[in-house]
Amino acid sequence: MMAENNDSVTRRRFLRHSVWGACLAGLGGTTAFLGSKSRKTDTVWQIDPEICVACGNCSTYCVLEASAVKCVHAYAMCGYCKICFGFFGPEPFDITEAAENQLCPTGAIKRTFVEDPYYEYTIDESLCIGCGKCVKGCNTFGNGSLFLQVRHDRCLNCNECSAAAACPSGAFKRVPADRPYLLKRVDHA
Amino acid sequence: MSRRTGITNIEILAGVLVALAIVVAVIALVKLDVTGEKGSGLGKEFIYDIEDLAKIDPNLILYEESAKAISTGFKSARAIAIDFDGRICVAGDKVIRVFVESGDLVGEIKLAGPPGCLTVTDDGKFYIGMKDHVEVYDGQGKRLAAWQGLGDDAVLTSIAVSKNDVFVADAGDRIVLHYDTTGKLINRIGARDEDKDIPGFVIPSPYFDLAVARDGLLRVTNPGRHRIEAYTFDGYLEFSWGEFSSNVEGFCGCCNPVNFAILDDESFVTCEKGLIRVKIYDPEGAFVGVVAGPEQLVEGGTARIDEWASEGKAGGFDVAVDAAGRIFILDTIKNVVRIFTRIEAGK
Repeated sequence: MMAENNDSVTRRRFLRHSVWGACLAGLGGTTAFLGSKSRKTDTVWQIDPEICVACGNCSTYCVLEASAVKCVHAYAMCGYCKICFGFFGPEPFDITEAAENQLCPTGAIKRTFVEDPYYEYTIDESLCIGCGKCVKGCNTFGNGSLFLQVRHDRCLNCNECSAAAACPSGAFKRVPADRPYLLKRVDHA
Repeated sequence: MSRRTGITNIEILAGVLVALAIVVAVIALVKLDVTGEKGSGLGKEFIYDIEDLAKIDPNLILYEESAKAISTGFKSARAIAIDFDGRICVAGDKVIRVFVESGDLVGEIKLAGPPGCLTVTDDGKFYIGMKDHVEVYDGQGKRLAAWQGLGDDAVLTSIAVSKNDVFVADAGDRIVLHYDTTGKLINRIGARDEDKDIPGFVIPSPYFDLAVARDGLLRVTNPGRHRIEAYTFDGYLEFSWGEFSSNVEGFCGCCNPVNFAILDDESFVTCEKGLIRVKIYDPEGAFVGVVAGPEQLVEGGTARIDEWASEGKAGGFDVAVDAAGRIFILDTIKNVVRIFTRIEAGK
């Protein structure tokens, strides 16, 4: 008889189970909410292109064998110049794509003819080591449409980023992970 | 006894090894550069070096700075002109300031927005190119007219008046607009036209200058083609001169010259950005000499060349000349006016 009484669903037991259930559901919901919120406030490393001096440290201080810092191109700012000083060395032998005329030591910048006298410039990230040589050429003579960014498809997001520690201009920042790039705009030209 | 000696030897060897490891660790720690002070360690081929290009043969420099620089007080100085009385008029921020040679401010015209260019007529009227339209002021700063806007794409960068004709360079639309003095548009000059053998203006950055020469032709920079072109007032391209070269005789970089002025003897004073150089060309476009190069124009000269990239965008200096042949360079990095006079022969 007693056992029968213990197994039966009384109103008190039902209420107690319901409260427990509600508490567990609430806890789960709160955890999920906080989890999603904390994900939104996660941050990653990025270079502020307005502060970066393209010193080249990123290319050797990044812990990755091939630096996560690459040159990127703001096409809206680009002048599509025939004689681009981000592409050509300061004293090119000729205005052709021959290797001896190019500025990039790894040949990571490609150019394609658009229409006279305009050319489009693209970065081959597999060749770019983030030395910033082209960035200096473009900033000195052109509109500054070439600049360096941490590429998040390969960055390990180390807590203590070696490249950030070695940055002489303090250009590295923590930025929200859902907006991981600091891109130049046309009004920066 | 021999066993004890063996143990002692092992202990000594271990001690030496530990000491060696400590020494190596200390050296490694001392040598480890986590702050980047020792540089990237990349080879010479990865370093951007224009130091040699920036050096100019002193024998080519024909001018010297002849007065103290005039501080304009602007955060962003944009353009310079010399008026009929030889006063120095500078456009910047949201105002036109008029200085005398001593550097004293003698007049101001307040504007609603930032000016892009200005010119002053012989009767003292200021024609000011705002971003997308022209405004005309009298010498007392009273606005006489505001011409019709040219649209969102317009970026007015130069203006010149010749009797009843007004020419405006619009870098945004890559065109020269020819007005009369009332603001009525007469024609557009320089659009690509194969029938007229006009290649069109190539303006990668907002530097596009013009002036009317004594020969009655309009001179316009075509910086993407590294030359200055001569047009009739009705829009025919007569001739051009200038070529790309990193050498001092040519125009360097992607797009130069950025600005120019015409001396009384019809020779040209040109300004280049990037490798900041102000040079003289004769009326046919042959290189004559240098007014000032990076060593004279950039603080610290070539010693600071590594920082030029960050100043490059501000380095589009403007230039004006007076009746005495002096050259007034508007330094848009330091926002000052620097005055250069030709070095006397034999000096």
